[in-house]
Amino acid sequence: MPDGLFIFFAALTLGAALLLVLSRNAVTSAMGMILALVGVAADFFLLDAYFLGVLQVLVYAGAVMVLFLFIIMLLDTEDATGAYPWKTAALGLATFFLLAAGVLWLFHWSGAVSTVKAGTTPPELSVNPAEFTTAAKSFGRLLYTKYLLPLEIAGFLLLVALVGVVSLSKDNPESNA
Amino acid sequence: MENTSLAHHLILAGLLFVLGLTGVLMRRNLLVVYMCLELMLAAATLALVAFSRFNRTMDGAVLVFFVITVAAAEVAVGLALIVALFRKRGTVQSDALTTLRD
Amino acid sequence: MPSDLSSLVHWILFLPLGAAALSALFLRRAGGLAAWLSTSVAFAIAGLSLKLLTSATADVTWHVELAKFGGVSLGFGYLIDANARLMLFVVSFVAAWIHLFSVGYMKEDPARGRFFAGLSIFMFSILGIVVADNLLMTFIYWELVGFSSYMLIAHYFDKDYAAAASKKAFIVNRVGDLGFILGIAMCLSLYGTLDFAALKDHAAAAKTIPVAVGALLMCGFLGKSAQFPLHVWLTDAMAGPTPVSALIHAATMVAAGVYFMARVSFLLAPEVLHFIAISGAGMAALAGLCALAQTDIKKSLAYSTLAHLGIMGCAIGLGHPELALMHMAMHAFFKATLFLGAGSVIHGCHHEQDMLKMGGLLKKMPLTAATFIAATLSNCAVPFLAGWYSKDAIIEAAYHGDHIAIFAFLSLAALATCLYSGRMIRLVFLGEANSEEASHAHESPWTMTLPLVVLGLVYSVAGGFLAHTIIPAGSLQPIEHALGEVAFHLTAPSTIVGLLSLVVGFFGALKFYGSVRGADALQVVSPRTYHILEYRWMDGLYLWYVDSVQRRLAEFVAFLDLLIINGVAVRWIGGGVPAVLGYLTGRSFHRGQTRAYALWIVLGSLFLAWFLIAR
Repeated sequence: MPDGLFIFFAALTLGAALLLVLSRNAVTSAMGMILALVGVAADFFLLDAYFLGVLQVLVYAGAVMVLFLFIIMLLDTEDATGAYPWKTAALGLATFFLLAAGVLWLFHWSGAVSTVKAGTTPPELSVNPAEFTTAAKSFGRLLYTKYLLPLEIAGFLLLVALVGVVSLSKDNPESNA
Repeated sequence: MENTSLAHHLILAGLLFVLGLTGVLMRRNLLVVYMCLELMLAAATLALVAFSRFNRTMDGAVLVFFVITVAAAEVAVGLALIVALFRKRGTVQSDALTTLRD
Repeated sequence: MPSDLSSLVHWILFLPLGAAALSALFLRRAGGLAAWLSTSVAFAIAGLSLKLLTSATADVTWHVELAKFGGVSLGFGYLIDANARLMLFVVSFVAAWIHLFSVGYMKEDPARGRFFAGLSIFMFSILGIVVADNLLMTFIYWELVGFSSYMLIAHYFDKDYAAAASKKAFIVNRVGDLGFILGIAMCLSLYGTLDFAALKDHAAAAKTIPVAVGALLMCGFLGKSAQFPLHVWLTDAMAGPTPVSALIHAATMVAAGVYFMARVSFLLAPEVLHFIAISGAGMAALAGLCALAQTDIKKSLAYSTLAHLGIMGCAIGLGHPELALMHMAMHAFFKATLFLGAGSVIHGCHHEQDMLKMGGLLKKMPLTAATFIAATLSNCAVPFLAGWYSKDAIIEAAYHGDHIAIFAFLSLAALATCLYSGRMIRLVFLGEANSEEASHAHESPWTMTLPLVVLGLVYSVAGGFLAHTIIPAGSLQPIEHALGEVAFHLTAPSTIVGLLSLVVGFFGALKFYGSVRGADALQVVSPRTYHILEYRWMDGLYLWYVDSVQRRLAEFVAFLDLLIINGVAVRWIGGGVPAVLGYLTGRSFHRGQTRAYALWIVLGSLFLAWFLIAR
């Protein structure tokens, strides 16, 4: 039986995700999203990835979701009226249950995934050059050595996104005919 | 966490992913669809962190770092697109956007 | 104390950058303030360079690593050997006086802030080239120099010819720099390092250096120093303000190419050296003759600069980079004086640049005339003036190196130099005024004449002697060694050639150009010769190449793009695939519903996952 904290946060995450998917109101959906992301961050903490957990809360639950809320309130979109068409609802439910069963089978009953508990470490993997640590420092070391090129590309990507957003949000009179 | 195994975290990540996918398939509000997409990304990062932790290597965790970066950039561009779309068409309901059919 | 001196270099390098940033950001409207800020910084770094020159006895090195990719380390650092110390001093000293001159010359210009910011950023870039200890840093500063030159040529950007000239200079330099960066890449792949010191070790260890390395690095030199066949931009670059022509296109920037060649001379294969020597000598003779067919005083001086750059290139090709640097230093002094004198004349004659319309200025502008004539005499290599030491030494080196063709070309260049110098003096300063403007000429203010007096009288005349007294033996040792190597003395063939051409050329020109008034004597006597010298053959060739070869090719490629990429690849595939699929599936694939597409994506990826897992 897994740990109590894990069960709590897993339930929180899944419940919040359900809220996100099912809620009619976009703002409620966004709240569910924030909660789900906090749950994922908590799971990061349980997995000893403290730095990533903090990053997740700061970037995702903080910056990104504020952006979402801002846009939702800016556009003030009408909520969809009326029930889901039964075809859509059936399709969604079928997809969900089929895939969820697939996930459970693949990760649980198929026996393909190791069920070794976190407390015991496979000995042959303990000499990995990029040894797993909880220190934020080791992220920095890896980012500026082994992953220098991806880091540069990610930085460039951010720049491109910046330029793209500026040009997208420009009101272009010719194309707005 | 002495008592959780890799499988537990993978199941959580998988269920989260499937939930997000269902949302993408069912919802009509583009903003909610977009949030569901982000949820799928978060599920993938959860799986990566779990692999990273149980294989005792930093590579997966560093990849998560990049996923977060790319997702942030993607959200900015995507939301800008949605805003531009709303300005042009006055709606963000995906059912109303069927120009490509003809 | 090396650490002390490297901090001195920090100041020398970054003071002008600070001044440029301050002027560009805050002082664009306060032109007067920017002018004095920039000028005082220029004098400060001149003083610091003098201190470095007199106090350094060994090479100053300082290096910090910026990044490491694999085994390749990229860094920022200084390597200041005797050559660099000399160059630093020459550049900063000449620049300081030119700054002062600009204060007077640009007094009525509304965009003074931009102009002086440009001068300061140029100082930063050129000093960066001088102190750089690796090829990458050199290249970056090299491009910065190109950029600031572009900015300053286009100072009068509302004039079409200035805008066109700046573009021309920039584009022609790009052609050379393409070769340069390929050469850097080749160095990196061959030797795995870009540091000059390490490269020198590799070159010493290797028996032969590939010809391509030197040839590619030489391309940068050809562009920046305006050597044949990339010399076409320099005469047009005179569209900038005269102080810019003096500083950048006569004294320092074009000399940077020579300096760089001297710095990497160990990487040049004998074939490359031979090419530089021949083309430099030929260029010197040709440009000297072309200077005879220009009526614009600045363009005539530009051809003179081309000739001297050719001589410097020739010295490098002959295997005497120290002599080239010495000539560079001397040339910087007297050519700066000549250009500043020309600027003073132009200023005095109310922006008249045509030499045929001047005349008789000796009485109207005595200080300018005296310094200009002194610098001209130095230019002609009158014995014991600055130009004589270096130029005749190079001619001597050619004679001793058994290169008869090069010796002949250089002798011709010496004769041409005397001819155009005599012509210039005759047309501008002697005789009678040939236009309204020239008859009302007036002497320039002190900010313009003081630099002329200092640079002209002190350095053009006594540069050779002062060099021995101010500078400690250590700094000049390589040059003295080179001088000893060519067995330089008064009865040498070069001295005989020099004196002969001086007497024949200088006095011949004075007499010849005195015979016709208000027109060019050569044009009157032999219009055909004049036209051959005036016509810009290389420009014509480039125009023909771009117009009929390159444009045809570009049009053909554009046609292929339209036909194959756009027509066949995009249109056929873009139109064909949906048509086929739509026919097969009865349009069930595209209903225009985003969610339906998402469902297809899910099914597709599930199929892929099944395929991967089940395999």
